[in-house]
This record gives sequence, structure tokens and C-alpha cells, in this order.
Amino acid sequence: MARADSLAKLAFAYGVHLTRRRLTRPRSQLANLLETYASDGIRPLLSEERGRHAQLIGCINCGLCALAAGRVGKVRLPDLASSYMRLYARLGEADSDVDGDSPDLEAAAAACPVGVPLGEVAAIVRRLAGG
Amino acid sequence: MSAPSAHDVCIIGGGVTGAGIARDLSLRGLSVLLLDKGDWGAGTTGNSSWMIHGGPRYLEFDWNTTRLSTQDAGYIVSIARNLVYRVVFIIPVMPHDKNNIERMETAMEVYDRFQPLKKAHPHTRLTAAEALQVEPGLTPDLIGAVTMEEWGVDPYRLVFANVQDAIAHGARALNHTRVVGLVRDGGRVIGVRYRGSDGATSEARARVVVNAAGPWVPEVSRMAGADVHLRPAKGIHIVYPHRISNFSISAESIDGRDLLMVSHAGFTLLGTTDDDFYGDLDSVDVLDDEVDYLLQAFERVFPSIRTYRPVRTTTGVRPTLFKWRRYEDELSRRYEVIDHAKDGADGFVTIAGGKLSMYRLMAEQTSDVVCRKLGHEAPCVTATRPLPGNESDVEPAAELGRRSGITALAAMKLQTRHGSNAGAVLKDSRSGRMICRCEPITEAELAHAARHEQVRTLADAFRRVGLAAGPCAGAACVLRAAGVIGGELGWSASQRFDAAREFVREAWLGRAPVLGHSGWAQEELAIGSFRGLSS
Repeated sequence: MARADSLAKLAFAYGVHLTRRRLTRPRSQLANLLETYASDGIRPLLSEERGRHAQLIGCINCGLCALAAGRVGKVRLPDLASSYMRLYARLGEADSDVDGDSPDLEAAAAACPVGVPLGEVAAIVRRLAGG
Repeated sequence: MSAPSAHDVCIIGGGVTGAGIARDLSLRGLSVLLLDKGDWGAGTTGNSSWMIHGGPRYLEFDWNTTRLSTQDAGYIVSIARNLVYRVVFIIPVMPHDKNNIERMETAMEVYDRFQPLKKAHPHTRLTAAEALQVEPGLTPDLIGAVTMEEWGVDPYRLVFANVQDAIAHGARALNHTRVVGLVRDGGRVIGVRYRGSDGATSEARARVVVNAAGPWVPEVSRMAGADVHLRPAKGIHIVYPHRISNFSISAESIDGRDLLMVSHAGFTLLGTTDDDFYGDLDSVDVLDDEVDYLLQAFERVFPSIRTYRPVRTTTGVRPTLFKWRRYEDELSRRYEVIDHAKDGADGFVTIAGGKLSMYRLMAEQTSDVVCRKLGHEAPCVTATRPLPGNESDVEPAAELGRRSGITALAAMKLQTRHGSNAGAVLKDSRSGRMICRCEPITEAELAHAARHEQVRTLADAFRRVGLAAGPCAGAACVLRAAGVIGGELGWSASQRFDAAREFVREAWLGRAPVLGHSGWAQEELAIGSFRGLSS
């Protein structure tokens, strides 16, 4: 009985929906979506970041980049590539961590045994931390 | 055997339902004993999709279930603010999907009526181009998309917060303690016999014994001579140690089921399967076929999924109520509170079925039955009373980090686990030293977990504070963590080594089914780090 009642109500809602779609001109809801979730840190990756993303998060935390180059702001390079790259939606709360100088990221990337592009990693973390 | 302890209620099973009942009854002024054969939340609860959701799929079956589910989700979100976060799904609509975009949007419009109950926003509808702007990794073949909001939760901390609050209100809670039998007096169940982690057997008397053992409910009820029929269903997830996307994504599987890629705080869960399970509940394996089934579905909407490196799999068994002639996916997530007085086992109550999102309501209704049996009148307060760490707002993470000598990120993660109690956890001279850098976890937090949070193994630490949950799966931290926990618990050097070896062995079992090419690079590093542990 509950099933029949539920399906009947859904069918009615479907009719109302189709009628409304015919009578009103659809407007883009994209800006509203992005604005609604901006304060939760839920923001899109850029398409160039998406294209390289699997490589950007490939860190195996061996620590060689730290030996080669050091820190970005207060953050050790392996932490940037492992823990900071895990927490996109909360990086806004950690922007003070990545304030400051950047080390020689090319040297760090050259030392990486799995080819993590650390310059790009630093850029995406700073972009998302900056809001 | 020592003299039996005496309690009003003994609860068997420390998943979210058992822990919720322990908290509820303790807050109502009853003396409670809570027992779990493993660790808190280590069974079905921890192997769930980590979501407090309203259940839009129940709209096809029973709107009242959706209403109850969203309403209870709203209560949980209010009392456990530090443990929850918004999860926003993009539901891409593909050519030939079972639901076209108008039907999909209709369902979301109906669901929007319930969303305010759980403090969530209404859906949005996106064109194909807009959906690709929001998530460039989606296939360009999509027709359009709708969004839907749910809540993510750390179920391990949710269970433990309930246990913590129960203890704070007088309950006794023992993990790694297996119930080996029930004590009977004629037609009554009057207590339990249990074996602790030290191997010693004890007895506890209770006026009511509650069976909240999840999929193990039939096994426990047989001890009372009662039959409870479940239809256990196995579900697996693939775990990626990063947010693959800031938006979660839904996909349709080859057999038309809805699957989810859920973006949690620092990782992604991809699942879940739903298959009848007839095997050993204590040894549930993940099969290569199940992994492929999930990846196949997501490859269709998110083509690069196979380029990502999973870190492990999880598997659990749902305690679904028995129903004949239904596909697994059509089974209801209903629950039932059973008083076994009619089965000749007065004083024995079972809670069966249900789901994480409604745990508080299930606990309330079970507690109501227990209170009626005991003639105890006290109202339930769990819908509004904050869980530990939620009594006040947290301070800014950067401020806590500065004060404690740790990064803002480490402070923020600490606050997600401990809420407003995070500062107290760091009141230790070792606060700044990092043990697990991926998560990140300080030495002070790990020591606190061993001292105050019933962590007895490294796997317990994984559940309590996320030890080794990151991309390196413990390669960099397991031995150091064994040192810290062992120091607190008085382990010898060989006990620390054995604890690390046990953790590595168990972790491997969950990782083996998903090791691809890139996974082996991590594995080589781990083998080097664990030299001597993996033999």
C-alpha cells in the first residue's frame, strides 16, 4: 500500500514538473550552486588541474623532496603533496600554513621517484587555500 | 571467575546502534554495560558509506521512511557538528539511463521538501556544459545533471562519541570483549558471560539484555533460544586516499543499481555492492569481480577513474531484515525491535535491521522498550543533547595551531575528531611531534587515544584517530605509532613489533584486491619500511 501510494505521488509530482518546465523558461542555476557551497570549500577543480590530477596526488611519502628542497611556508614538501592534497575542501582554514617562501620546487620534483610535479601541487594548494 | 557485576541493562554489540542505546539509557539514568567482541564501530558501521543521508531512494517505497530518516539525520547533524560535513552529489544523466533528466529532477524536487529537516539545501539542475564546468572529469557524453546534498560523517568517531558520553553518565563499556553465553533463570535471561581481551571469563547480571549485534544478531539470539531471521547483504567499497573530486558523483551500474563516489574529508569512497551473503561474518573477502563491477560503472561517467590509485577496500555486511523474493537492492532498510518474552526469553530484546542515518531513532525506540520492561520512566534526550566536543564552538584552527605549535591543518583535523575538546587533547608536552603525517596525527593525540579512548591495537588507532589512513597506508608511521601506544600500554619491544606486524598483515588483506601499477610503487616503499614485518 505504501509503495502504491508513493508511486502515485511521484507520478503526480512528475506531471506538475513537466507542466512547470513547459510554462517557465529555465535559468542557469550554476552560479547559485557554486555560491551555496563556497563557504564549505566545495569548489570545482580547474580543467587543467583535472587533466593532471591523478599525477598530482601520486605522492608515496618517501620524503626525498624534503631532503632536496625543504618547505613551502611552514609545510614540509612531502606533507604538501600527501596531507594537504587530501583536504581540498578544508584548505581555506589552513592558508596561513602555506604563506611564505617557496623552495626550489623543480629540484624537489626532480628528486621525486614517482614524478609528482611539486610546482603544480604548490599552485593548486595555494589556490584552494586562498579561496 | 570473579563475582558477577550487576547492571540494569547489558548491550551486546558496540556498533552505532549499540553505542546509541548505551548513551540513551545512561542519560535516562540506568546503569549500563556495553560489550563488543572487537572494537567500537569495527563491523557494519565503520564499513558503511560514511553518510548520514535521507534516503531519496525510499521515495519509491515509502515517503514516511524518507521523512523519519531526514528528520533523524537533522538531529544527528545538530548534536555531532564536528563529525559531519556537506557532501554534494552530481547525478549525471546519460543517454539510455533508466531515469531521464525530467524524472530525475522530479525525484529531487520531491526530496527537496524533506531537505530542510536535515539542514540541507535544495537541488540544482545543470546543463551538460555546466556539469562539466563543475566537474571537468565527467564524460562529455552526459545529457545534463542534477545535484543533491547529503551529510558525510566519521562513523568511528560517531560511535565513540556515543560510547564516551555513555561512560560519562555512568556506563561501563568494554571493547575486545566477547559474549560467550547468556545467563538464564528459567524463562528469563538474567545476564551474560563474557571473555575479555586478557582471556579471563566473567559474568554480568542485567535486568534486560539487548542484542544489538548487527549481522551477528541471529548468532546472539540463538544463545537465548530465539530465532531472528536476517538477510545479510555484503557491500564493498574502494577507498582512494584523496578527494578525487570536491563533488561526489553518482553512477548507474551495469545492472541498473545506483552507485556512489563519495568525497569525504580527505578520501573518496566508491561503492557499494549489495549481494546476499552466506559466508563467515568474521572473514569477508573482497573479490576482484566486485572491484571491477564498481570501476566499470564509474568509468562510464568519470573516464579517468582507473588512473587513480586506491589505497584499500572495505567490506561489511548489512543486517537487513529477512524478505523472500526480492532483489538485494530492493530490500528495505527498515528495522524492528523484538521483545523475546514471547519466545520464552523474557528480559531479552533484539534490535535488527536499520541503517546508520537512523541510528539515534533506533536507539531511542529500543530504549523505550527497555524502559517499559523495567518500569522506568524517563524521556529520551539524545535528539538535542550535544555529543562530547559539541558543547561549544571550536576556536579557529590557525589559532589552536599557533598556540600548540602545530600547523593549522593538523589543528583542523584534530578538531574534526575531538571538536571543542581538541585543545585538551594537546595539553601534553609532546603535542607538536607528528606521528602520521598524511592524516596528520600528533604524538599527543595518539597517546591520548591509548590513555583515554580504549585504543588497544594499531587497528583501534586507525579507527579512533585515522592512523595510517592516508596515501602511504602506514609505511611512514606504523612502527613509530606502535612505540607511542606501546609506551602508554606497557608493551615490551617484541609486543610493539608484533602489533605492527599484525596491523601490516591485516591492512594488506584489504589492499591486495586494488593494487594497480601505481599502487605497487607505494607497496615497494612499504616493503622497504617494514623490512622484517611482512614475512
